Amino acid sequence: MTTTTVAAATEYVVQLRRISKRFGGVHALREVDLELRRGEIMGIVGDNGAGKSTLMKILSGAYVADEGEIWVNGRKVRIRNPQDSARLGIAMIYQDLALFNNFDVTKNIFIGRELTRGPMGLVLDKKRMYRETQELIRELKVDIKSPRQNVASMSGGQRQMVACARAIAFKSTILIMDEPTAALGVTEANKLLGLIRNLADKGISILLITQRIPDVLAIADRVFVLKGGERQGVLDVGKVTLDDVVTLIVRGKDRAGEAPGDVMYKSFG
Amino acid sequence: MGMDEQAQVSRSSMGRSSADGLQRHVHLGFLRKYAVVFVLLALILVFSLVSDSFFTVRNLTNIVTQNTYFIIVAVGLSFVLIAGGIDLSVGYQMSLVGVVTAMMMVLWSFPVWAAVVLGLALGTVLGLVNGLIVARIKTFPLIVTLATSVIFQGISYIVSQARTFRDFPSAFQFIAKGRLGGVPLDVWLTLLIVVVVALIYYQTKWGMRVVALGGNEEALRLAGVSTRRTKTWVYMACGFLTAVATMVMVSKANSVQSSFGPGTEFTALTAAIVGGVSFLGGEGNIPALVAGVFVLAVLGNGMQLAGWGVYAQFIVRGAILLAAVAFDEYQKSLKLRVKA
Ligand SMILES: Nc1ncnc2c1ncn2[C@@H]1O[C@H](COP(=O)(O)OP(=O)(O)O)[C@@H](O)[C@H]1O
Ligand SMILES: [Mg+2]
Repeated sequence: MTTTTVAAATEYVVQLRRISKRFGGVHALREVDLELRRGEIMGIVGDNGAGKSTLMKILSGAYVADEGEIWVNGRKVRIRNPQDSARLGIAMIYQDLALFNNFDVTKNIFIGRELTRGPMGLVLDKKRMYRETQELIRELKVDIKSPRQNVASMSGGQRQMVACARAIAFKSTILIMDEPTAALGVTEANKLLGLIRNLADKGISILLITQRIPDVLAIADRVFVLKGGERQGVLDVGKVTLDDVVTLIVRGKDRAGEAPGDVMYKSFG
Repeated sequence: MGMDEQAQVSRSSMGRSSADGLQRHVHLGFLRKYAVVFVLLALILVFSLVSDSFFTVRNLTNIVTQNTYFIIVAVGLSFVLIAGGIDLSVGYQMSLVGVVTAMMMVLWSFPVWAAVVLGLALGTVLGLVNGLIVARIKTFPLIVTLATSVIFQGISYIVSQARTFRDFPSAFQFIAKGRLGGVPLDVWLTLLIVVVVALIYYQTKWGMRVVALGGNEEALRLAGVSTRRTKTWVYMACGFLTAVATMVMVSKANSVQSSFGPGTEFTALTAAIVGGVSFLGGEGNIPALVAGVFVLAVLGNGMQLAGWGVYAQFIVRGAILLAAVAFDEYQKSLKLRVKA
């Protein structure tokens, strides 16, 4: 697929082309391609250490790729740091939640892009920040009681929702989430998945890393499978079963088609 | 960080499962915030009973005027501490800024305003040096500022050649001796600094980012804020306020030598931590910090009046610092348990 036309290219909000990344001797990513469509939820799956977080961190500017290109909205871009990525409308919600336990919800949402007033924007516009947070809580129907609640006192699900609200507050159009449901109970996880589906329906494109394949099958449009830092394939959620996905994760693209017993034997051999 | 917000937190209902732990945590936060004020009142009460000359207008006025420059240094240091760093070099910053400013006036006949401006600039540069090193070499600020402290000490003694400078122009002495509405100028200056810095913390995005830096440095970086730059600014602000404090100290003594200043870092650090500024960053408020300075001041003054001697005061101060740090640690461990 080297001959993409311009029209076809802009169908994608994000294109990663032949992305490679090494950490010393570890080849975390090898020439990975990824295409994300507007308003879709793409699940990113793979075993521990497959390179999921690394790939997404390259898009969010937390890491810089050794090789490869990033295209956003049909334009080739350079993402050297989180600011570059934010300017392109990309927001990442980290696995190790990047929240401030010494701050309330509002400050967590606005830190780094504070609303100000007065000459030279000298004074924090606290009133507006608290009001907008209140509105955001209502709009997203999230389970947070007050914009003044301290995040240190929140459950994992609530904390994820604060992180989502932060991304939405800044009109991010591409949202990356790294195992958001990993530490959540069933009820909270479902609430969060509902919120994610909600956001996608509003036109936000979402990359969702997860180990929970059923979650992906429930809300994603497509699933991207990584193994050993290499792309194994992209599956349409409507056309595959849980087994298909798991098989691809475990065996990789080259052996996914082989007879089950046979491959099980080989893969553990 | 604002008191109103803290109060809100304690009122809003908390998550179900860990409600007990949280309740405890919130009460402790409240206790901690005002504990220092109660300690201060208790000390005042005790020393009023122990010594007749303690609770007099004259003595209380003395306590205030003798501690203005400690407050200014502690407020400057609070930027660094709340941002999660530390600056052990403020004492020798004072030493160096003091002798250089004095030499400009006494030896080289600089106009007072020029000497003061250049002295403040020097202090800011010393802070900048600390800030740049801490932000570039990602190592412990404790070690960095211990090293720069020794360097500043060396420079101070080389520059001053261990001489004492005294009898400054009257315009300079005016900083401490002048009065406005019956109140010494340096008290007004201190009040102004306290108010401005409190406003910076509660009302500006820069203040909010300083607190954020102490709370979660990596998260602040991911939020698109240059943590390097914020760190550098924080040490510069500390250097500037330390230089302001130096002017007050030198003006008050009307004499200075390289041994003036060192030791202030310990007092300011103790006061800050006693005043509830977290040793691990991310927390603190200015009124409590000021109360922290006065706890030490009242203790020193009261013990002196009660005839307990200087060395006993050292022991008590050290013990207080240990107690405050232990309380801080306990507080943090509780918080982590709540989070988990
Ligand atoms: N900062 C890092 N330094 C060194 N190695 C890393 C770093 N981040 C990831 N790796 C390595 O890269 C590989 C991919 O990691 P990661 O992207 O975190 O995988 P996943 O998120 O799929 O579990 C792993 O072998 C991991 O050890
Ligand atoms: Mg990961």
